[in-house]
Amino acid sequence: MDNLTNLKAIWHSAKTDNLPTSAQMLQLIHKFKSQRLRKKWTVIIVASLLTLLMIFTMFYYQPKMITTRIGQVLITVGCAWLAFTNVKSISRFYHLNDCSNAEFLAFIEQTRQNQIYFYKITQVIIMSLSSVGLLLYFYESASASLSGLIITYSLSAAYLAFIWLVVRPRTFRKNAEKLNTVRAHLNKISQQLKDDEA
Amino acid sequence: MTATETTDFEAIYNQYAPQIFRVCMGYTNDAEQAKDLVQETFISVWKNLATFRHQSQISTWIFRIATNNCLRALEVAKRMPPAELPFNMAEAGEESSEEKLKFLYQCIAELEETERIIISLTLEDLPQAEIAAIVGLSNGNVRIKVHRIKEKLAKKFKLNGQFN
Repeated sequence: MDNLTNLKAIWHSAKTDNLPTSAQMLQLIHKFKSQRLRKKWTVIIVASLLTLLMIFTMFYYQPKMITTRIGQVLITVGCAWLAFTNVKSISRFYHLNDCSNAEFLAFIEQTRQNQIYFYKITQVIIMSLSSVGLLLYFYESASASLSGLIITYSLSAAYLAFIWLVVRPRTFRKNAEKLNTVRAHLNKISQQLKDDEA
Repeated sequence: MTATETTDFEAIYNQYAPQIFRVCMGYTNDAEQAKDLVQETFISVWKNLATFRHQSQISTWIFRIATNNCLRALEVAKRMPPAELPFNMAEAGEESSEEKLKFLYQCIAELEETERIIISLTLEDLPQAEIAAIVGLSNGNVRIKVHRIKEKLAKKFKLNGQFN
C-alpha cells in the first residue's frame, strides 16, 4: 500500500533529538539501582544472616531444655527456606534475557502463579515454623519466673497476632489487587496473540 | 565493563535509541513514558550486554527488551478523547507534520497492544521475520496482522480526509 510510505514518512518525523546522549545515558545507568529486585535481595540477605546467626547460636550456646533447641532448629529452617525461595525466584529473573513477547507474557504469568503459591502455601509454612520456633525458643529463659513467662508470652502472642491477623492479610489483599490487575492486563494481551495464531 | 564494552554500548545506544523511542511512543502515546521506557530498555541492555549470547540479532534482542517493557507497563496510552484532538481532521492539507504525527499516534493508540507493537516495528522498517521473532508469532500471522492494521489505519486516515 502506498499509504504505508506516507505513514512511514510521518512516523519518522518524530523528534528524537531531546533523548539523552549516550554519555548522559551512561551516567543515568550508573546512578540507577535496580528497584525491582531490591526487596528480594534484602529478604535474601536478612534471612541468610538470621540463618547463620541461629546456626552460630546453636554451636556456641548449649541450651538446657529441648524446647530451646527445637525452637532454634525451626527458626533456622524457616529463615533458610525463606532465603532459598527468594534465591529461586530471583534466579528466574536473571535467566530472563532474550525472549519474545509471547514468552515474556508466559514468564509473567508463571511469576504471578508463583506469587499466589508463595502467599497461600510457602509463606504460611515459613511463618508457622518461625512462630512456633520463636515461642519454643523463648520458653527456657522466660520460665525462670512466672512474671517473666507471662510478659514474654503476652508480648510474643501480641506480636504474632499482629503479624498473622493484620500484616499478612493486609499484604495479601494489596498484592492480590495488584496481581488481579496484572492478570486482567496479561489475559487481554495473551488473548490477542492467541487470536492471531488461530 | 571494559572501555570496549562502553564504546560498544554507546554505538548501540546511538543507533537504536531513536528507534526504540519511536516504538515506545507508538505504544504509549506519551513522550515522558516513552523516554522512561527507553531508559529502562538501555539499562537492561547495559546490564546484559556482556552476557548476550547472539542467539538472535542484536536488534531483535533490543526490540524484544523494549516491547516487553512496554507490555509490562500497565498504565499506558494516555489517549486524547476525540473532542480534544488538536485540530479538525476534516481540514486536511492544512496540518503540520507535527499534527499529522499526533494523529498517527492517536490512531495507533486506538489499536490493541500487540497491534501497536507490530505496526510500530513495521514503520521502523523491520523485516516481518524479525517482527515475528520479537512478538513470538509466525511469519504468516504477522503478515496477516500487518495487512489488517494497515487497513485499519488507512481507513482512519481516509475518514479524516487524508490519503485520498
